[in-house]
Amino acid sequence: MKDEKLKDRRLVYYKDDFDQIEKLLDEYVKLSNARCVFLIDKEGHLVTQRGISQTFNAATLSALVAGAFAATKEMARLLGETEFSVMFHQGRKDNIHLSLVGDRAINATVFDEKTTVGMVNLYSKELTAKLAKIFEIAAKKITSEPAFETGYGDSVKDRLDDMFKE
Amino acid sequence: MQINYGKREVSCKLVYYGPGMSGKTTNLEVVHQRVPEKSKGDLTSIATEGDRTLFFDFLPIDLGQVRGMTTKFQLYTVPGQIYYASTRKLVLQGADGVIFVADSQAEKIKENIESLTDLQQNLDEYGLKLEEMPFVIQWNKRDLPNALPIEELEKQINTFRAPTVPAVAATGEGVLATLKLAASLVLDRLNTKEPGAATKKAAAPAEKPAEAPPAEKKEAVVAKINADQISRSYFTQYCQVQYRLGARTEEVDDFKKFSMDEKKRLLESLINHGLLLQDAKKRSIVVSKEELEVQLKEFARRFKTKEEMDAHLAHRKLSLDNLRNEATKNVIIGKIIQKVIPNLNEKFRITETEVKEYYFTNSAKYGGKSFDAVKAEVIAGIKNQRKRELLDEMFKALRRESSITIFEENL
Repeated sequence: MKDEKLKDRRLVYYKDDFDQIEKLLDEYVKLSNARCVFLIDKEGHLVTQRGISQTFNAATLSALVAGAFAATKEMARLLGETEFSVMFHQGRKDNIHLSLVGDRAINATVFDEKTTVGMVNLYSKELTAKLAKIFEIAAKKITSEPAFETGYGDSVKDRLDDMFKE
Repeated sequence: MQINYGKREVSCKLVYYGPGMSGKTTNLEVVHQRVPEKSKGDLTSIATEGDRTLFFDFLPIDLGQVRGMTTKFQLYTVPGQIYYASTRKLVLQGADGVIFVADSQAEKIKENIESLTDLQQNLDEYGLKLEEMPFVIQWNKRDLPNALPIEELEKQINTFRAPTVPAVAATGEGVLATLKLAASLVLDRLNTKEPGAATKKAAAPAEKPAEAPPAEKKEAVVAKINADQISRSYFTQYCQVQYRLGARTEEVDDFKKFSMDEKKRLLESLINHGLLLQDAKKRSIVVSKEELEVQLKEFARRFKTKEEMDAHLAHRKLSLDNLRNEATKNVIIGKIIQKVIPNLNEKFRITETEVKEYYFTNSAKYGGKSFDAVKAEVIAGIKNQRKRELLDEMFKALRRESSITIFEENL
């Protein structure tokens, strides 16, 4: 039981699903004319990013997006909703559009004046539906991905030791 | 935790918890100073005017590639003040490990206990138990004159007997030791609980020596199949598993050494395996749980009881996952053959003349037994031969479409 729970909390993305996800995101960036898109776990881990995004610190953005989403969940609760599925932050030049994908991820789209929030909203709805489906199927299937190599954990510990030599 | 096979990346989340002003943010600042430039991201802090954490502090650390997986740790702190309860809860979401930064000062004992209770409550809402999680307590501010003796703190706060580290975060003392300890607890989970990794520690005590020889700093690649690479340590592991699967003796060596020719032969079979998986992906072939079960049951039929099978696996130092991988491979082979080779059944239709012919050409093998006595055996022999031919044909076809490079010097 304990182990099952642990496994459930582990978000695993297999290679073939991942390829499919990236393909969908690429199409989405093209269709919506957005600058870039980030797919982020609800726990704040970045899954992947597509489009032109060199200037962003993706890890921090992911942590903040997940945090912001969780915070608005509290807001939703006060209004009697379970959660808000879409959030939008407008800037002077760049904007960010956040939408929930199934119950495990968030799709964060950064866009500028080349497109509109309406377009982004429209295409992101399609995208999230498709992504949610992939997640749903992925959760059920078994694949033969190579497992962690033996001694992986110990190697990471060695690396940490190297990094923090006192 | 996120395990991303697409990017070959593992990302773990560690959360620093504790009462207000106990030194959580200071811990993160020290880590940030000590991590080499190339491995760290920015330390992000959402602080109020009074310099107290409002939302959370966040520091990503990138350990780079470890055994083929890019490994990242994300460090979070929660705001300590009581009134940020909901923020604390959301930061805890998905935490792989918790570091509790306790304030050692005598007058803070109550706040420590309150914060710890708060932590338990919040974990409880996610259906988690502190005693089941990777959890470390840091006794911070050991340098202050009013710090309680550690025995006293242990008695009052550490009711779980969690591992602890004394620290003076302000000078950096004990900070890295705490982080390393928490990280290794998280990693130990990964070693033992990852579904694909060796899970039979208890049954196979001699597992350790079977590991790959100490890996070089940079992973050597033994072969490339199209875009995929086979690392040397993966290859070594594959060889050991294949040896154990096919061993004719009941007991197996801890670490079997292979000659160059054997290695080359094994690499060829691993390349075939890789080609299969790539092809299966292209054809969107998925192996269902049921199909896998059928294969595993087939294997289990060779044994009278489950205990007998477990004992066999333990002797061979094999895990159920090794079997599962083999079974998956077999199912995929079956499915691809059906797709690639039309009128498959026809190829397995065997005429009486063929059987006779085979019997006479291989008569030595049957040691003078009469045709009727060995007919079934003969048919099975022909089928096996056909199967081998079909497999050969299939792999040849796959190889024609792929680019394969072998780095013999790395074998």
